[in-house]
Amino acid sequence: MLEAVNVTKEFGPNRALNGVSLRVEAGEIYCLLGANGAGKTTLINLFLNFHQPTSGSVWINGRDVASAPIDTKRDVAYIPEQVMLYGMLTGLENLDYFAALATGQRQPKDHLVALLAEAGLPADAVDRRVSNYSKGMRQKVGIAIALAKNARALLLDEPTSGLDPSAANEFSQLLVRAQERGVAILTTTHDLFHAKQTGTRVGIMKRGNLMSELDSADVSHNDLEALYLQHMRD
Amino acid sequence: MSRRGTLALVVRQEWRMLIADRSLLLVLGLLVALITYGFANGLAEVRTRDAMVESVLQAEAKAGRSQLERFDRIASGQELPSPFNNPANPAIAGNGSGRQAVLPSAALAPIAIGQSDMMPNSYRIGTRSKVEFMYDSEIESPWNLLSGHFDLSFVIVFLLPLLIFALTFNLLSSERESGTERMLLSQPLGLGTLALGKLIPRAAPLLAVAALLPILLLLAFRSEAWGAGWLLFGWAALVLAYGLFWFALAFAINTLRRSSSANALMLIAGWTILVLVMPVMLNLLVERLHPAPSRTELSIQTRAIQADNLRRYDDLFSGDYRYIDEPESLQAKDGKIEIPARTMASFLARRDMDKRVDGLLDGFDQSLAGQQAAADRLSFLSPAVLAYEGLTVLAGTDGQRYLTFRQDVSQFHDGWRARFEPLIMNGVAITRPDLENLPRWQAPPHDRRGAARALGWYVAVMALCALVAGVLGCWRLRRYTVA
Amino acid sequence: MLGLIARKEFREFVRDGRMIWAGGLMVVLLITSVLLGWQQQAAVQAERVASQELDYDAWLNQGPRHPHNAADQGMHVFKPSPPLSIIDPGIDPFVGSTIWLQAHRQGETKFRPAQDATGLKRFGNLSPAWIVQVLAPLLIIILGFSAFATEREQGTLRQLLSMGVAGRQLMWGKALALVLALGVLIVPGALLALGALAGGASGDVLLRFALLCLGYALYLGAVIFIVLGVSAMCRHSRTALFVLLALWIGAVLIAPRTIADVATRTFPSPSRVGFDEALSADLDGASEKEWMRNFNVSSAWDPKLPLSQWGKALQVDDHSGYGVLDDHFGRLWDTFERQQKLQEAAGVVAPVVALRAFSMAVSGTDFSHHRHFSNQAEKQRRLLQEVVSHDLIEHADPLGDRHFSYKAGPELWAKVPRFTYDPPGVGFALRKHWLSLAVLIAIFLASLLFARTAVTRRLSA
Repeated sequence: MLEAVNVTKEFGPNRALNGVSLRVEAGEIYCLLGANGAGKTTLINLFLNFHQPTSGSVWINGRDVASAPIDTKRDVAYIPEQVMLYGMLTGLENLDYFAALATGQRQPKDHLVALLAEAGLPADAVDRRVSNYSKGMRQKVGIAIALAKNARALLLDEPTSGLDPSAANEFSQLLVRAQERGVAILTTTHDLFHAKQTGTRVGIMKRGNLMSELDSADVSHNDLEALYLQHMRD
Repeated sequence: MSRRGTLALVVRQEWRMLIADRSLLLVLGLLVALITYGFANGLAEVRTRDAMVESVLQAEAKAGRSQLERFDRIASGQELPSPFNNPANPAIAGNGSGRQAVLPSAALAPIAIGQSDMMPNSYRIGTRSKVEFMYDSEIESPWNLLSGHFDLSFVIVFLLPLLIFALTFNLLSSERESGTERMLLSQPLGLGTLALGKLIPRAAPLLAVAALLPILLLLAFRSEAWGAGWLLFGWAALVLAYGLFWFALAFAINTLRRSSSANALMLIAGWTILVLVMPVMLNLLVERLHPAPSRTELSIQTRAIQADNLRRYDDLFSGDYRYIDEPESLQAKDGKIEIPARTMASFLARRDMDKRVDGLLDGFDQSLAGQQAAADRLSFLSPAVLAYEGLTVLAGTDGQRYLTFRQDVSQFHDGWRARFEPLIMNGVAITRPDLENLPRWQAPPHDRRGAARALGWYVAVMALCALVAGVLGCWRLRRYTVA
Repeated sequence: MLGLIARKEFREFVRDGRMIWAGGLMVVLLITSVLLGWQQQAAVQAERVASQELDYDAWLNQGPRHPHNAADQGMHVFKPSPPLSIIDPGIDPFVGSTIWLQAHRQGETKFRPAQDATGLKRFGNLSPAWIVQVLAPLLIIILGFSAFATEREQGTLRQLLSMGVAGRQLMWGKALALVLALGVLIVPGALLALGALAGGASGDVLLRFALLCLGYALYLGAVIFIVLGVSAMCRHSRTALFVLLALWIGAVLIAPRTIADVATRTFPSPSRVGFDEALSADLDGASEKEWMRNFNVSSAWDPKLPLSQWGKALQVDDHSGYGVLDDHFGRLWDTFERQQKLQEAAGVVAPVVALRAFSMAVSGTDFSHHRHFSNQAEKQRRLLQEVVSHDLIEHADPLGDRHFSYKAGPELWAKVPRFTYDPPGVGFALRKHWLSLAVLIAIFLASLLFARTAVTRRLSA
């Protein structure tokens, strides 16, 4: 579903990604672990065509992103670390706009309200301006947008950072439900616990290289931590 | 979804946002106020000038009547003729009929005051020399000429771009700065569609008001504008092309991915260079390419010619005033009249002056025409110059129209004198039918074909400028990366 | 401390390219304009001096001629180009420079340079004055809008204040940096202009130059403090930038035109036709009255008057017109001056208007100086008329009808002295335009107060 083939990305003299290859199948949650600057976000950006790979290619649903940048975005939903919305508009109005952009048609209001509820936004916030929202509330609108898109792949950039534990837990449950529907999910995180908990597979990145990949079912939390720290040290 | 569908969605969204934050309303309100004020100023100015032309024509009629009356009084013996006011004397009739050459304001004159505050729109025609009547200029405080006027052309040329900037300086940068850019572009939405979708709801209302409101005002307050026909379309085309250029420039600046503040600075710098500095430099260049001959030199030459004439006609100038002893000598007899020697001398001296000074004056006209041609050729360097020139052409207040007027007047004056010359030389008395049938100045209609040609060029070049800016922006857009 | 702050600030100007690009453009424009102005002024002045000589020579050597004919031909006077027009040509492009002094009627200056130019001339004149009046404030905004606002955004402001640096110290340091930056950009042009003036400059010219410097310093100083004050008031540098740009557009671009419109509407100028007609009517009226009083005839040059009286008649006719001319031209010029006075006062809203008035006045290129010249020229014309009519009275026609056969010679021509225009001193300019200087000083003090208040109130908060 989501595939990177030997991807290298350079920004001037700096090499942000160095021959990374990975594949996320339908119904899989792939967690990318790594320190700041390891290249996790760059990889996500390549899937969104925010940047183009210097060499190699990224594929969504069997289509090359660079050659079909708009079409591939129909199949993928994206939730950034900071979901930024139009402050002048309400949560519902924001969802209305982005959902319409995402799906190509305006959605009925009931449907949108239901999506916001499913994402966990309090009902009284739906018609308030987003400028008054907390980070978590904006995140929920972002989730609702992703839900509205009903995409076959999901890209998440540090989705739980800055969320309180209960919110993070709710979010994990949402992910699992999506996984059960057969969505391919690629998420970056610093959070080992979260990675182990929700991920089906875990990849560890360091300075643009994918150091190792493992099935989370095969390792204990402690092993994972040890492995991660070892990579960080070198 | 089709691209068009997405575009419609973006346009609709932007429209809502512009309404919600009131910026569009504010800018449109400001534009309406500025246009109305500028138009009112232009209209007041044109009405003053129209009234002036009217009063000149009334003065002409009055002078004609009083000359006829005096002719009748002298013919019937009620009044004794004097050497200075006897209409039977062709030298006096030629100068005293009060004939005026006027340039009526054009249909769309309120658009631009242009050169009308400086160049005279009427000349009194007679047998005087050109050096005596063609150097006049309109009365206006030099300070005001220096400051310029707040007319419609000022609003369009100087202020419209600034209002456009107010709506577009953060066209794309605001999305990046607020972080919504990533949200937007993770959807199946191209950057080009986004930019276009954001430009349309800004450009459409702003340019519609800028192009249409003045047309409505013209139709409401200036009846001549109803007959202006395609000139009104010319106006709309010019304003649209000019506005589109600035929108395209703002778009291109936005594709550089700088901050909103940097965008604003770059736009203001661009505006300063294109609107304030470039025209001034262009004028400098044009004046260097086709320098006007020296007016000081002209004065010296004029004086030399005059001294020559005084010498040549010295006998006539020294002639006696026989009529003091024989006042009956001033009366016309059998279709003949004796022209007093000094009157004859002045006529001849003035005739000769014009013959010799014409060449010198042509030099000035040629230099001005050369400057205008060079300015037109170089005007692509500044859309502001294109717009200003185009607007004055539409308003009929451009330098070229006044130049043509002056040349027409000069020709009419030559013809006028040629008509009187044989009568004066041969001492033929003027009859009453002669006086009644003196040639009249036919005010030349606004040369709309010429205006069309000039305007077509201005609009075409401006559209090209807009296209270049737009293409540059699109080219940069392909290398635009999302932060 | 002050030096430290200024040095850091100045380094930023240079590093981020604002100074190089925006300032570089200004230096190039400034130097170009001084050089062009210099060349133009020298050429024009040389030509006018030479022409004035030529014209007077021609007058002296015109040969035997009837004095009335000589007066009809008259003489020309050329307005000298003031040395400081290199810096501020003022209204020169929009007023003529040549007056034809003829018998019977007051001449007006003819040949406005703008009439020999295309509409482009109406966009403005590339002069050092224009550059400093219009572009320098924009440069100060570009350099200074971020002075406090960016430090606030970056958080460095809190750090500075926490270290015990007083807000006012910061303000003066930043002001000093802006003054230095402007100095670097403007002083070369000013020195060049001074060099151009120095050749044979009188003390008066140097004094005027010093006053010009004072006026521009007050103006730019006011702009600096307004920019710093606004930057201190605004939470974001972006807001500061927009507020300042809006102020610039309003004060430099829109206000001068609007104020000019208001002034014209308050004190309307007559039209050319209206003016000429009214003048002619009054001249005829006055003349007829005097002819009746002196010669008991009903119209001027009445055939009943013997030619032997024509010399006297010429004098009577001339004298009858003086009052009317003084009245009409005086009223017209008073109108222009009233329009300008109103605008100078309105300089409180748009400092550039007050500065423009002051700069032109001190440069000797404003309307008051132009009027002074026109008055001197008219005096010369009346002198010429007096010489001629006096001579005609002395040589009154003894035969009764041979008035015009009399010819005067070089002795008479020499009785009309050479026209030498003595331009008024700087005292004249100050007397006429003290208001604009007062307005500039007031604006400077007000902006200083504003900046201090803004800094003390907003920085401590």
